[in-house]
Amino acid sequence: MMTQETLAPKLRLREVGRQFVAPGTGQLATAVTGVNLEVATGEFVCVCGPSGCGKSTVLNLIAGLDVPSAGTIEANGKPITGPGADRGVMFQDYALMPWMSAFDNIGFGLRHGTPGKPFTPEQREARIRQFVDLVGLKGSEKKYPHQLSGGMRQRVALARLLANGPDILLMDEPLGALDAQTRLILQVELLQIWGETAPVGERKTAVFITHDIDEAVFLGDRVVVMSTLPGRVKAIIPIDLPRPRTEMIRADASFSILVEQIWSLIRDEAYRAIHEK
Amino acid sequence: MNRTTTLQHEADVAAPAAGRRSPMRRLLDSRGFVAVRSFAIFIGLWYLMMLWANPLQLPSPFRVVDALAGLAASGELFRHALLTTSRLAIALVVATALAVPLGFLMGLNRKADALIDPVVELLRPISGIAWIPLGIFIFGVGDTLPVFIMMYVAFFPLLLNTVSGVRHVDQRLVAAARTMGVSRWAMLRQVIVPAALPTMMVGFRLAFAGAWAAVIAAELIGAPSGLGFAIEWYRQLLMSPKVFGFIVMIGIVGYLCDLGLRALQRWLTPWAEGTGLA
Amino acid sequence: MTTTTGSTASANGSRWNAVLYATLLPAILVLAWQAWAMTLPADTRAPSPARAVAAFVNLVASGELILATAQSLGRVLAGFAFALLAGVGLGVLMGSSRRIRDNLDPIVESFRPIAPMAILPIAILWFGTGTAASLSIVTYAAFFPMLLNTIHGVSRVDRKLVLAAMTMGVPRLRILTKVVVPGALPGVLLGSRLAMGVAWTAIIAAELAVGAKTGAGGTSGGIGQMMFVFFAYSIDLNGIVVCMIVVGVVALLIDRLFRVAEYWLMPWRQ
Repeated sequence: MMTQETLAPKLRLREVGRQFVAPGTGQLATAVTGVNLEVATGEFVCVCGPSGCGKSTVLNLIAGLDVPSAGTIEANGKPITGPGADRGVMFQDYALMPWMSAFDNIGFGLRHGTPGKPFTPEQREARIRQFVDLVGLKGSEKKYPHQLSGGMRQRVALARLLANGPDILLMDEPLGALDAQTRLILQVELLQIWGETAPVGERKTAVFITHDIDEAVFLGDRVVVMSTLPGRVKAIIPIDLPRPRTEMIRADASFSILVEQIWSLIRDEAYRAIHEK
Repeated sequence: MNRTTTLQHEADVAAPAAGRRSPMRRLLDSRGFVAVRSFAIFIGLWYLMMLWANPLQLPSPFRVVDALAGLAASGELFRHALLTTSRLAIALVVATALAVPLGFLMGLNRKADALIDPVVELLRPISGIAWIPLGIFIFGVGDTLPVFIMMYVAFFPLLLNTVSGVRHVDQRLVAAARTMGVSRWAMLRQVIVPAALPTMMVGFRLAFAGAWAAVIAAELIGAPSGLGFAIEWYRQLLMSPKVFGFIVMIGIVGYLCDLGLRALQRWLTPWAEGTGLA
Repeated sequence: MTTTTGSTASANGSRWNAVLYATLLPAILVLAWQAWAMTLPADTRAPSPARAVAAFVNLVASGELILATAQSLGRVLAGFAFALLAGVGLGVLMGSSRRIRDNLDPIVESFRPIAPMAILPIAILWFGTGTAASLSIVTYAAFFPMLLNTIHGVSRVDRKLVLAAMTMGVPRLRILTKVVVPGALPGVLLGSRLAMGVAWTAIIAAELAVGAKTGAGGTSGGIGQMMFVFFAYSIDLNGIVVCMIVVGVVALLIDRLFRVAEYWLMPWRQ
């Protein structure tokens, strides 16, 4: 804890807000407001909340795909000016190029973007192969996305993200499209890839959006709970469960307490969301 | 007997032929045989009608085949076919060279689109055929006229589909590429072009279909050679079997070209198979 | 991600902007054309915007243009009617019965690459150079879009909807009118719009070609023939330009009309 406090935060959001003009009425609508968040190096932060609370908006702002209407966002102490390979994104529906094989998709950033610059072509190919193996896609790398199952596509997207070697991993419900069983398995694999067994300083920094509270508690060091109307941070819950997290932890009493704690923060709004549509 | 076996038994009784048809049955049911059978019936009906009608107006199918064979042997058939298809090829190449860059410009740049689209929309309803008289004055009767008309006809579907393909590129792919620090040029080459390609291929096939119809009209009215010219020429000579023969040739060449284009489409855009664009 | 441009205050400004953009390039092109035409000697045959307008006024005043347009349109409508009957009739059959479709498909697909104009010499052999020849070309041309889209429309009718209606004891005729027809309607209307577009192009081409056979004394009439007369006899290029523009305008109107009909008849779409 001491070490984390004295290090500068990897990611800092200060009073971040995003408003936009509704296309039909011309009225101002607030997606998020007053978001304050600091993410330390090597931290795994999960973001939870009811639909419409602005989770994806925040992620897009951090990624630089969107510009805040208020507040500042800094990565590594410098304000962000747009998307970049230092903040890699894994999208909810993977955003794989349908015309490329899994191998080429994984290597897209390395071959056509900035991450590949320091490498020679041979090094790039070797790196792609390394990540194909890491996510367990060896043998399927020549297949096209439409020939792969949901779980395999997710792993392609993950491999692409990691192969680009970003400082910060931004993941928007990356396991959302998978069935529950695959999801459980991939959660464990994700933590291993993230560097759960390595010392904190060597882990990647991750911001992970999910609907699934169980998933958030299982994966995260902290869980940011957001509320809606307007979207803002309601609470930040530290997850003091030991690492590495095994599936047995779900049976722990402390696990359930944390899940219930977070759900109680969200419950009322979730009810309202269903009944007042 | 439990429920599942009862249902299976009923299904077996109800569909005795399923999966257990004889090879003869399978041959008779195959698409190829059905096609041959339909053609045979068609030719049979043709023959019957010919007996009843004026042989000048409706020659016997056998005489048509005969005429075709003669034309093929003398090389005349292929000479005209080659002329027509080479004009088509030139027209398509030129139309693509004009329409695709313009389409990208209009698709990517709103201002260029706002400026150029009105002209496109004003010219598009004026069919290529309507340009023939003016075209003859400008180009004279010869090779250039059919090429110009075809180029005009092919241009619009190519342009419109390119614009549409570029505009409807999945923005999430663009966003993903941006998060990987892809340069603008690489974005165009590696994301926009491949993403727009399926729609562009559809446009290309539409352009071909339109151009193929237009070339016959153009040659019929204003060219000294080619398949369209040949039909009209032999009609004036009242040699109906040859007229019909050339018409059959038009159908065959058109069909083969479309097959070729479909194969091209599958080769260039193999990932678009299941999306309804193929 | 993008913010909308302009609040209500500058909305009018952006509308003017849009109009400006829409007319800028066409206006420039027309002016350039006029300027080019004015550099030529006064007795040239080359068409110019000014002279085309004059020709237009003359042709309308003499009633020739209206008459020719009406003639062409009349033929298109007649041909379209035939194509509608044949195309929808056959389309429903082929769309609902796999067997019929498999049997007739080879024939249909063989004729599809044979352009309507290629049939013209046969039509002339059979019907001479009068209206009947042009009419048959139009019918042939309009038939295919009508047929193919009807087949598509009928086969798109979700089998499950028909089965659901049957399980509710709906009589077969009512299933046809309440389920199949509305389900197939989008396809039929789309086919109609495309067929009319193709028919219009076909009639012009047919009249042009037939006009070339009969010359100025022909009785076929229509815009296509008018164009041919301007081309071969009076060598009135301005008249040709007027005809071309009329062809374009009518094509646009037909298309718009059918789109409106689609919108009205199928409010549940888009």
